[in-house]
Amino acid sequence: MFLHELKYELLVCLRVKEIIIWLILFPICLGAFFKMALYNVYEKDIGFSTIEVAVVENSPNSTLHTVLDNIEKQDDAFLKATYTDKEEAEKLLKDKEVSGIIFSDAELSLIVDGKGMRSTMLSDFVKTYNDRQRIIMEAIKNDPSSAQSVIDELSKEVSTCTKISLSDGNPNYYVQYFYNLIAMVALFGSLTGLHITINNQANLSALGARKNCSPVPKSISTLASIIGSIIIQGVCMVICVTYIKFILKVDFGSHLPLVYISAFISGILGISLGFFVGAIGRIKTELKTSILSSVSLLSCFFSGLMVGNMKVTVQKKLPWFNKINPAAVITDSFHCLDYYKDYDMFITKIITMLVMSAIFMLFGFLISRRKKYADL
Amino acid sequence: MERTVVKIDNLVKRYGELTALDHFSLEIKEGEILGLLGPNGSGKTTTINCLLSLLSFDKGRIEIFGKEMTPTSYDIKKEIGIIMQNVAVFDELTVYENIDYFCGLYINDKAKRKQYVDEAVKFVGLEDFLKFYPKKLSGGLLRRLNIACGIAHKPKLIILDEPTVAVDPQSRNKILEGIQELNKNGATVIYTSHYMEEVEQICTRIAIMDKGKKIAEGTKDELKRMTRNTETIIIEILDLPKAVRDKISVLPHVYKTDYDDDKLTVSCSGGKHNLLRVLGLLQKEELSFGRVYSELPTLNDVFLEITGKALRDKEE
Repeated sequence: MFLHELKYELLVCLRVKEIIIWLILFPICLGAFFKMALYNVYEKDIGFSTIEVAVVENSPNSTLHTVLDNIEKQDDAFLKATYTDKEEAEKLLKDKEVSGIIFSDAELSLIVDGKGMRSTMLSDFVKTYNDRQRIIMEAIKNDPSSAQSVIDELSKEVSTCTKISLSDGNPNYYVQYFYNLIAMVALFGSLTGLHITINNQANLSALGARKNCSPVPKSISTLASIIGSIIIQGVCMVICVTYIKFILKVDFGSHLPLVYISAFISGILGISLGFFVGAIGRIKTELKTSILSSVSLLSCFFSGLMVGNMKVTVQKKLPWFNKINPAAVITDSFHCLDYYKDYDMFITKIITMLVMSAIFMLFGFLISRRKKYADL
Repeated sequence: MERTVVKIDNLVKRYGELTALDHFSLEIKEGEILGLLGPNGSGKTTTINCLLSLLSFDKGRIEIFGKEMTPTSYDIKKEIGIIMQNVAVFDELTVYENIDYFCGLYINDKAKRKQYVDEAVKFVGLEDFLKFYPKKLSGGLLRRLNIACGIAHKPKLIILDEPTVAVDPQSRNKILEGIQELNKNGATVIYTSHYMEEVEQICTRIAIMDKGKKIAEGTKDELKRMTRNTETIIIEILDLPKAVRDKISVLPHVYKTDYDDDKLTVSCSGGKHNLLRVLGLLQKEELSFGRVYSELPTLNDVFLEITGKALRDKEE
């Protein structure tokens, strides 16, 4: 009986247009839109390997040579210098083969082509170099004996940026939009969860009434519906993550299996939310659908789907809200993989999702367990 | 002695101040087609929902197949087929899949189920629509699918709650014939409707309901004997003088006359040749008239006589 129910639950779910639209087609379209609108910007500004720069020495500068050589020798060198004359350097800049020209005189000066992350980094480099050169010259002038120690100290860090990744993940700003997209797909699973209650409650639909008249216990019928929905939702989550990772080629770092696991569990959270809302009261199905769609979108909005820094703003003003906002919890689980080397925080977020799902399911069951109604 | 299949004893169901079922009792014997007849809001569907243990009730007891009916009476539920007033099928499943799904809730054995589903398809005449989705079916075909889903598992007790609402005449006849056939095959049937013609046509016994009460019960002949009306004569006539109408009123066996919309209605109680007497009088008064017809009493007359109102609203 259970397998019979499960078989048809899967068949029904696969043919519900809303599921195909909201859980598969919509994320595909939105993901493609994100890729076009945001990811190009990312690749242009941040997703670089090395900044090419032309160096024009009006007077020989061995210190600059040493510094640049040291930078280039690093594994993740952010600068690659081409030593040339002014005319050639300007030609390279015009042809966009370099991002800027460093002129070496008594101090360094810089010409860049427009604005952007690369220009800012070059500017920072030149400024840092000049500042430190001044400090060393001051030290030589005031106390020559301490000059070497000052040079040694300052030489430890000449890079304009510090590697912030604490793990092997991908802590870039733009990936969060795709994490939010996954969260949105998970929460739209609430619409599938809603149909579980609608189709099994005698007071919510004629179909529910007919099923309640059958000799199949309501618990079995509901359980089959929930499991069927979780399977379908799980497939949708896998499609979503696979599409973002392998078609849109968004980098999820080196924890892809954990991203899949987190996405699957977030799908369960979405379904349980829908199951719970579906069980509350005898509100019209259309209204419940609207409520769930709004809750899902609002949850994603506060998690940063539409405005990138929204979650940070919420964290500053209402930190507790981020702890219970389903979309925030879901995206946090992905971010944890990027920012933390161990899995403690990731596991905490997964447990949070499971606890939330269990609470929604439990209350959903408690409310809908009734077998006789005062009114139909 | 015929076995009692359903026993409803002193059922009371209240919705706040409104009493939907007021000490309602009913017994249904094996092999009967019992018609629950009453206007909209009389309590027919509430009775069915209580019977199926979907609705809680304030007082009373319901027994089916000699056992008390509760929400967990799965052994009883296995023997019941329900055809709801609202079509209850999955839009996402085809005709065949829908019937198979609902049949599968009752029948575990796959081979047996396939046989039953095929028989149900044939029974409702949906052989040509097996791969159709419900949204592609006409209202009549959809009702037939609704019925197939309810009877495919060959239940001993079939409950049909207004199954012919918004159905074309062809499908309606097919449905009514089908119910009689199910009954011939051994099923006890409860049929609710506010269409008295349908109830008269197929039911072996009728219970008339109004305001949550059973106001009459019996075979259609027994019920019709409860009214003094034996014949209603209707004559289309222009400008009937009041004096002539008064003369008709005092003819033998005439107990009531109405003249409305150029139509004279004469209600008679007993006697023979009432029509001839009325027409003779009109001829004598040299009045010309149009269409003339005579009707035997209907269940509406019974309802009218007991409650003072018509069974069906005019727009129905």
